[in-house]
Amino acid sequence: MKSSADYARYDDEKLISLIAQLQTEALDQLYDRYNRPIFSLALMIVGDRATAEEITLDVFMRVWQKAGSYRADQGRVSTWLTHIARHHAIDVLRRRAVRPDHHALSLNEITPGVPLPAQNPGELAEHSLRRERIRAAIARLPADQRQALRLAYFGGYTQTEIAAALKQPLGTIKTRIKLALQKLRDFLRDEQEPEDKSAQALNTYNMSEED
Amino acid sequence: MFDETHVLDLLPAYALGSLDTDEANRVKEHLLSCWICRAESSAFQDVAEQLSFAAPVAAPSLDLKDRLFQRVQSVRPQPHVPTKAARRPWLERLLPVWGLVSLGLIIALAAFTLSLWQRLNQLEFVTAPGGMRAIPLSAADAASGATGFVIVSGDGDNGALVVDGLPPLDADRQYQLWLIRAGERTSGAVFSTDEKNYGGTRIKVAGSLLEYSAVDVTIEPAGGSHQPTGAVVLAGPLFNP
Repeated sequence: MKSSADYARYDDEKLISLIAQLQTEALDQLYDRYNRPIFSLALMIVGDRATAEEITLDVFMRVWQKAGSYRADQGRVSTWLTHIARHHAIDVLRRRAVRPDHHALSLNEITPGVPLPAQNPGELAEHSLRRERIRAAIARLPADQRQALRLAYFGGYTQTEIAAALKQPLGTIKTRIKLALQKLRDFLRDEQEPEDKSAQALNTYNMSEED
Repeated sequence: MFDETHVLDLLPAYALGSLDTDEANRVKEHLLSCWICRAESSAFQDVAEQLSFAAPVAAPSLDLKDRLFQRVQSVRPQPHVPTKAARRPWLERLLPVWGLVSLGLIIALAAFTLSLWQRLNQLEFVTAPGGMRAIPLSAADAASGATGFVIVSGDGDNGALVVDGLPPLDADRQYQLWLIRAGERTSGAVFSTDEKNYGGTRIKVAGSLLEYSAVDVTIEPAGGSHQPTGAVVLAGPLFNP
């Protein structure tokens, strides 16, 4: 019989395969691993905790019901989860036909990450690393590109809607979004080597913990 | 070499989901046949996923996990679907279903040889003359041994589903096909299988099937559901999301 420690050692894809076999312990572990990133993303988009919690529940219920249809060759588990959460949250926004006031905030005004208790140290480190990498990359973008990026990704606006909201030519917005994502890709690529070194260090840490 | 038909400039906004519908459709169609743009698109999709981690760290209520497992207990997926009965060759089983679709589909499909069908199990999809595609589906754990194909006309306006190895359900339940786009599911058909575990149906959906990235088949109450509630028995990719 598997223990909770066994499930904690499984990678995401293994957990999904076990969830497809209706193993609730695997869902429990996946929830522990991803409830915060999913909830944080949903909260960032919809702006209120109650709705963000409903979205989080829906994401994990979708996983429970659809784990059998997950295909690793189409993307990582984390990509699948964030894709579901983001689209669900944006659908909520569109049904409301209003966007939360917090979308007026700039991405570089996001408060620093607060370490939260009761999370696996390895997962905490990985999520923290990803968060700091993307924040550092976003911070290097010009303000107008950050604004367009924020409205597109967290606001769910189309380029045409962004142009109308900001009273800017559509071509200007298209250029800002294109440049923003191209720069982010380049920045993250530049950071890849340090991340690889961190991953190696993390693996070394985990191996020493198992010993 | 790049040519003017590439959509590289649109890929960043496509990854963010911020293109207008016409442009998004143009990108999707182009990605079907262009590996250069597919590779670029994949890179931008990775960047978009990273953006989700930029959200401020927050934790849900401590009781949220309890609420999740209460729901899990109330909506427990249906486990394994038993399979049985001998199976006929694919070509023999497909012919009656094609009759449901359209004369055009039948004529085009008739050009397929048995060897071509045998190749389908190893290929992502096969494109026939006229642009019609046949896309194989994979069995989920709940229905090991089941197989199926989604057949889509060249313009994406017509499609059919054929399945094999799915046993007939009791009177209260039917199979339902779901078309998946941006993580959302739309019903494409509700159908039953016969005593030889074979079934087929025309896919009915507003718009083009080229807009959908994947399909799956679930077991639902007779008449179908608004959203899937039962176990997945078949699933597969359609076109690039």
